[in-house]
Amino acid sequence: MELALFVLALALVAIAAGFVGSLTGLGGGVVILPILLIFFGVPFPIAVGAGSITILATSSTTGAAYVRDRLTDLRIGMFLEIATVPGALLGATLTVVLSHADLESALLIALGFVLLAIVPGALARRQEELPTGVVPDARSQRLGFAGEYPDRALGRTVRYRAADTDPALGVMFGAGIVSGMFGIGAGVFKVLALDRYLRLPMKVATATSNFMIGVTAAAGAGVLLAAGYINPWIAAPVAAGTVVGAFVGSHLLPGLRNRTVRLVFVPVVVALAIETILRGVGLP
Amino acid sequence: MSLATPTAAPLLRPLPDSAYRRMTLVLRAGLLTALALLLGALVTYLGQHPGASSGVATATGSIAPYLSLGGLGHGLATGAPGAYLALGVFVLIATPILRVATGLYYFHRGHERTMALVTFAVLALLVLGVLVIGPWIR
Repeated sequence: MELALFVLALALVAIAAGFVGSLTGLGGGVVILPILLIFFGVPFPIAVGAGSITILATSSTTGAAYVRDRLTDLRIGMFLEIATVPGALLGATLTVVLSHADLESALLIALGFVLLAIVPGALARRQEELPTGVVPDARSQRLGFAGEYPDRALGRTVRYRAADTDPALGVMFGAGIVSGMFGIGAGVFKVLALDRYLRLPMKVATATSNFMIGVTAAAGAGVLLAAGYINPWIAAPVAAGTVVGAFVGSHLLPGLRNRTVRLVFVPVVVALAIETILRGVGLP
Repeated sequence: MSLATPTAAPLLRPLPDSAYRRMTLVLRAGLLTALALLLGALVTYLGQHPGASSGVATATGSIAPYLSLGGLGHGLATGAPGAYLALGVFVLIATPILRVATGLYYFHRGHERTMALVTFAVLALLVLGVLVIGPWIR
């Protein structure tokens, strides 16, 4: 195939992935990665590198607005990166080592199951907009993991504090491994830690997760770049296309961001996950 | 004011507005610079090589010549699109790292010793990935 056609096709796919990814909250990487592997024949570590670049681009796009609006808790986000970054370094290293050992089929199967694991988390409806009865642990108190933000929808300022930091660090380490290994944001797992264990308000959890996703992706991408697995001829159209798609999805059509869109989109992710697993076990 | 917790505790002094403003600026400037470099170089390359095969897009080590400062500098000076593509990737990866460095500056300035140490450790790990782990497993 001619490079120009290849790049154009990738950009169009990335625009679509960024669009639906932003509408559903799953992120573009969840769609892009299996498509690169299945339809474009891209080797696993290069596809992971492209996924990491996609995350960097999209998290910078949406992250700027979250930081500007004071929804991101910089203190908590920075602290938890001490777990996600080593996880991502380990994950990216595992991907390269397993690829060198000719174990890409195992990576494909693992990716398929990770995609399937993400779906229920993305569909879950959170019960608490503002958690109550939060008891901060000693570390949370010592480091001042508390804050406030102006909630426009509620029309008031909301104060919050963080609860259990130890289990949150554990989940974040796992999320970092997944992110580094597969080049996806793993935002579902990060929000889980911020929501279930730190018990932050939903908006703060989402914004802080987005903030962390970029730094985690930078850790994995740095390893893959230095190891020679970032290919800019793929990364450029994928990053630009995803940013355009995410921008359109998040700015022009906010009314579409709802559960119905997710329900329509989820079968696509499930089908891609199953196809990825089938490829991994050697079935066409 | 709504209180999401039953027991109120005094909040630490929040990071100054300039910290949020600078991080927003870092994100926007980094993203726009990276995209401009990536797209400009890609279009230039396609213009110079209209019949190029997609094989270059699935090859490993395609920007290996530009991973050293000398190689990158030479590529940029000679106008090689691959060098500008590599620079775009570097800027994209460096953007969140610069954001961490910004956080380190503000935690240090605010005398938050533990947070400054944690942030420094994160920064050191990010650099370790690029300079040590990546080349080691190449």
